[in-house]
Amino acid sequence: MASVHESLYFNPMMTNGVVHANVFGIKDWVTPYKISVLVLLDEMTISKRMTLLERRRLNKLILPLQQVPPQLHMMVVGELKDMESFFDTLPNPFSDAESEASKTSVVGLFMRHMLLAYNKLSFSQVYKLYTALQRYYDDCLGSQPGPPTAPPVDADMELSEMELTSTEDGAEGKMDKEEPDAGPMQYSELLCPLSQKQAEYFLARQAYLLKNDENKALKPAALQEELNNMLKFNPDFAEAHYLSYLNSMRVQDVFISTHSLLHYFDRLILTGGDGKSNGDEGYGRSLRYAALNLAALHCRFGHYQQAELALQEAIRIAQESNDHVCLQHCLSWLYTLEQMKGSDSSVLTEDSVKMAAHFGLPYLASLGIQSLVQQGATGGKAANMLMDALKDTDILHWKHSLSELIDISLAQTTSIWRMYGKSTMALQCAQVLLNMNSLEQVDFGVQQNNTEAFAVVLCHLAELHAEQGLFGASSEILKHLKERFPPHTQHAKLWMLCDLKIQFERAMNDGKYHLAEPHVAAIAALDQMEGLYRKGLVMKAQNQTTDAYRVLQRLQLLCEKTKCTEMIIRVMLTTAELHWESSGFSTALPLLLQALVLARQHHLQALASETILHLAFSQLMLGVPEQALNILHEAMEPILAHGALLDKGRALLLVAKCQMAVSGGREDRRTGLEQAVQTLDEAAAYFSRMGCKDRLRDTHYLQARLHHALGHTAQRNECALLFRMVDQELPPARANLANRL
Amino acid sequence: SASRGRLEGGATAQQYEKMAALSSEFGDLVQIKKQLISVISLCKERVNPVCLLISSAPAFGGLRFSLLQEDVEDLDALGLAKSYFDLKEYDRAAYFLRGCRSKKAYFLYMYSRYLSGEKKKDDETVDSLGPLEKGQVRNEALRELRVELSKKHRTGELDGFTLYLYGVVLRKLDLLKEAVDVFVEATHALPLHWGAWLELCNLITNIEMLKSLSLPDCWIRDFFLAHMYTELQMIKEALQKYQSLIEAGFSKSTYIISQIAVAYHNIRDIDQALSLFNELREQDPYRIENMDTFSNLLYVRSMKPELSYLAHNLVEIDKYRVETCCVIGNYYSLRSQHEKAALYFQRALKLNPRCLGAWTLMGHEYMEMKNTSAAIQAYRHAIEVNKRDYRAWYGLGQTYEILKMHFYCLYYYRRAHQLRPNDSRMLVALGECYEKLSQLSEAKKCYWRAYSVGDVERMALLKLAKLHEQLNESDEAAHCYIIYIQDIFSCGELLEHVEVSTALRYLGQYYFKNKRYDEASLCAQRCCDYNDAREEGKALLRQISQVRDQGEASSADVSLPCVFGSLSNNNTPVRRVSPLDLSSVTP
Repeated sequence: MASVHESLYFNPMMTNGVVHANVFGIKDWVTPYKISVLVLLDEMTISKRMTLLERRRLNKLILPLQQVPPQLHMMVVGELKDMESFFDTLPNPFSDAESEASKTSVVGLFMRHMLLAYNKLSFSQVYKLYTALQRYYDDCLGSQPGPPTAPPVDADMELSEMELTSTEDGAEGKMDKEEPDAGPMQYSELLCPLSQKQAEYFLARQAYLLKNDENKALKPAALQEELNNMLKFNPDFAEAHYLSYLNSMRVQDVFISTHSLLHYFDRLILTGGDGKSNGDEGYGRSLRYAALNLAALHCRFGHYQQAELALQEAIRIAQESNDHVCLQHCLSWLYTLEQMKGSDSSVLTEDSVKMAAHFGLPYLASLGIQSLVQQGATGGKAANMLMDALKDTDILHWKHSLSELIDISLAQTTSIWRMYGKSTMALQCAQVLLNMNSLEQVDFGVQQNNTEAFAVVLCHLAELHAEQGLFGASSEILKHLKERFPPHTQHAKLWMLCDLKIQFERAMNDGKYHLAEPHVAAIAALDQMEGLYRKGLVMKAQNQTTDAYRVLQRLQLLCEKTKCTEMIIRVMLTTAELHWESSGFSTALPLLLQALVLARQHHLQALASETILHLAFSQLMLGVPEQALNILHEAMEPILAHGALLDKGRALLLVAKCQMAVSGGREDRRTGLEQAVQTLDEAAAYFSRMGCKDRLRDTHYLQARLHHALGHTAQRNECALLFRMVDQELPPARANLANRL
Repeated sequence: SASRGRLEGGATAQQYEKMAALSSEFGDLVQIKKQLISVISLCKERVNPVCLLISSAPAFGGLRFSLLQEDVEDLDALGLAKSYFDLKEYDRAAYFLRGCRSKKAYFLYMYSRYLSGEKKKDDETVDSLGPLEKGQVRNEALRELRVELSKKHRTGELDGFTLYLYGVVLRKLDLLKEAVDVFVEATHALPLHWGAWLELCNLITNIEMLKSLSLPDCWIRDFFLAHMYTELQMIKEALQKYQSLIEAGFSKSTYIISQIAVAYHNIRDIDQALSLFNELREQDPYRIENMDTFSNLLYVRSMKPELSYLAHNLVEIDKYRVETCCVIGNYYSLRSQHEKAALYFQRALKLNPRCLGAWTLMGHEYMEMKNTSAAIQAYRHAIEVNKRDYRAWYGLGQTYEILKMHFYCLYYYRRAHQLRPNDSRMLVALGECYEKLSQLSEAKKCYWRAYSVGDVERMALLKLAKLHEQLNESDEAAHCYIIYIQDIFSCGELLEHVEVSTALRYLGQYYFKNKRYDEASLCAQRCCDYNDAREEGKALLRQISQVRDQGEASSADVSLPCVFGSLSNNNTPVRRVSPLDLSSVTP
């Protein structure tokens, strides 16, 4: 490392204490790679000129290059003079105005740049270039038979280069055993210079991959090593620090990410602007964003207090210098922070949207609207307003080609439909996103953007399939998720939770509570509230009523603090079920009514139907089956249209029970019972599809009794047989089974 | 390579210094002196430019201990190579040594190859093929040297010097762990070669690492440990070591004096350091080493004439030395000619880019010139050279504080604080930032800690008191003011502390409110000694006498803090310097 600094002073690079990477303002340096591009261009100008229609011929042209153009080969195996003569004979763009390589065209400009750069090389530099070219040629031909024009920063090559370095350092202990003479060969390979452009490309690509498809990016450790290498050679390469920040965010390393972020901005401040301007450009600007980024960092790590302080600072500096754009960014972080802290930030968000729209920042405005929609959805805003807002932002997104936000918007719509209990709509939205061609050019072999939106949608899809009893499909989706988002990546938590939930539900429905129990701890690790809720469910199922009640009470307090309506309603329902266990059907009623009001207020149709089922059951148990049937009719339609299989079955079972109870003493008893039998048949079909044996047993039992009452001996026997088969498989039924929906 | 040559030469010179310090009157030190003489002659034969011609002369032959058969065979080649080496024609030297078998020749052979590689690397950097490639220029010889040396190392053919060279090669290849092992081995093989110790010193990062090494049991180890303690900021231990070395007979060593002075400088005991440096200047008037540290001290004390004298003196001795440039930089900085100061620091950096102090000082100058971006860059460079440079971290913090980014600078101050946990300045800076961020409880902790570790600027308590005052914690505030006043007066410096009057004023009011009129009137009287508090003091006195006339008894609550116990005692007037008697300095 020392060498870098020692060497700095032999260069006339330092003015005013600032080291400039560009000595004479030369941006282009001749590199071996660029020479091969020049050869290609040369070949192209020699052959006939291309018309637009003849583009296909380009492939033909590139073919000889792929098979090593004779010129390049001649240069490499020949002498230095061959390279010199190549540059001499390079077609002068000035000479031929007609050519594609005229002096103002892109190609012409490139060639002129290269010629200039070549002519500026000193004597020893020319020789160095020549040896570099030889090495480059040998590397490409030696390592792979593929095209020598492949970009030299191909991921594989980067990797192999890196491995070489690491073995050089790491394998010192082993060096003693093997023949040390093998060393210098590897060493020389390292000398192939990484040009500025190549390094920039490498960083840009890795950053892009980190954002869009983490799998394809280098592994965190490998990437960090590469960056360290790069920084060791050129500590002024500020962007590498930023990538290092992103990379350490990936592995949740507070220390290194803070360090890298601040280092990046320290370096950026130097390169940006002339150093003294405090205005919109350059130095002052990067200061503001430095503070803002620090706030974002603390936000991401959940250091809310620090984040707030940093944000205040960013806001103050931005205000002082009248930077409205920066201020808007600050504001958007501010409401995000407030939201993360769990306080109401809708006013702030609205402000942010208004201001962002005013300053023409569509991205921020849309983000704000999306955040507002999310808040509105949980806060029980009217559904049509939310959907309208989403639709409006979608128009904005398409107008500005904000493909990332389109994805998010679709994922959000899916979630909202799902929350409202419209599974069909949710399914549709999910499919739209998954089948949509991304606007962004899909680059670097990324098939689809592996962003959070996709993970969310796929999780919903998996859950929706599981609800319909399609466990095979659901596990397929989960398998796909696991491949696309491996466990160490940022969005892996989403599918982990989803997977656990599905497994938990299955175990509970099967009546295998001991299997469900271990999942509780895992769920709690990913989502505290969800974990607590599941804990309550398991306890209730295991007849630990008091403990379950205590857990639910705690959860309720927690929910009220975080204003999580969905969970509140679910807790109410479960609490009501606890009341049933002690036959407190009337005490459950007020709770259920409260839940119903809440569910209706928030348009949570699935939960509302569920509540109605609970109400009806309570009424049935209280001896008013007519009333129960009345309100059940209201709930049946949405349940059959959108509900999960299990819900459908349960609803039908309940209807049948009510029908039986209603027809108890009446004259048309027989028709009533026959109706009930039909309903039960349907319910049994749903339960068997779900594999919910517990409930299937009840159904068969009821069926058998009904057939018996109706005098259908054959059917009765059949049902009884079915009952017996299921019953043998299951543990003995619990005493208070009747008290269950 | 000039700086490198100087480093190695410096090591030898320091050995000479040690030798010069030994006087024959210490009988048991004769042995040490003999050892030194022999090792220096060994060094000379190998690298020291002066001695080649002489060493082949018969007059010096007697100093050679044993001429092996091989040595005799190689003598001519060695002589030729040595002169080429001295002329910096390293490749040529290596060429003529290639067939030699003696250890001496082998070392020179390898060393020439190493230096040739280094020289080429430096030349190469000018001819780089692009900004990124610039950093990739390496010493091409290193790899081969390592391969050859590691072979010999395995068979145990390396002597102390070649081991040292092997270590240097490993370090240059960033194989630090191996390098440490080899250097330790080198110190065992040739304990008196100070260069190996110095290299080792650069590689040791913490005290645990130091303790884990098994070092040869030799008197030179004490020098090394003392040096190491200074590097690791364990000043107390370092001073102890040096003291024991002085007692052991090295009392005349200018090296030790300079090291002690630097150590005092590091713990900011300015007076001690200054007097030691003055002593050093008397004993060794043409010394340039460490004079930059001396100038820092003079700068801190704003001793313009002394600094000016030092600067002119050094320029006369050698104006192209890093230390000289730093001294001149400091001189201009003290005269507020910051552009010129920065220029001289840049010159120092041109002479030796790894000169850490100059980067930091340049940062300070840019700060003064309000060129914050250049300052940040300078500090960052300093950190790159040495991550543990707390001054640079502190400077970065200050820069961002100037830019009013109080939260942002916390990170930098924290880093500085980590490196110097017992330095009150970082703690005070941290406290100030927290105060600006309205994190008062953190700020209080910082100030209190700053006071506890020994506040240099004596501002921490005052700030703490004001914080308490702001928070209406009057008891705590009074307590802090009391300690502050005690502190100010007990240290004996009758410096002008503007804030003393503030403290007295507050205490007066505080005692008055708590109905302890005796103390209150005492404070009020002291207030009258200060211009800015005189009126209030008088008013308070009037109030007190009014209340007393009404016959209200003063409260005898013992639980209240009472500092001025000593003042109201009878012995107060008898004391030679009354702690509150500031009449002599009151304007």
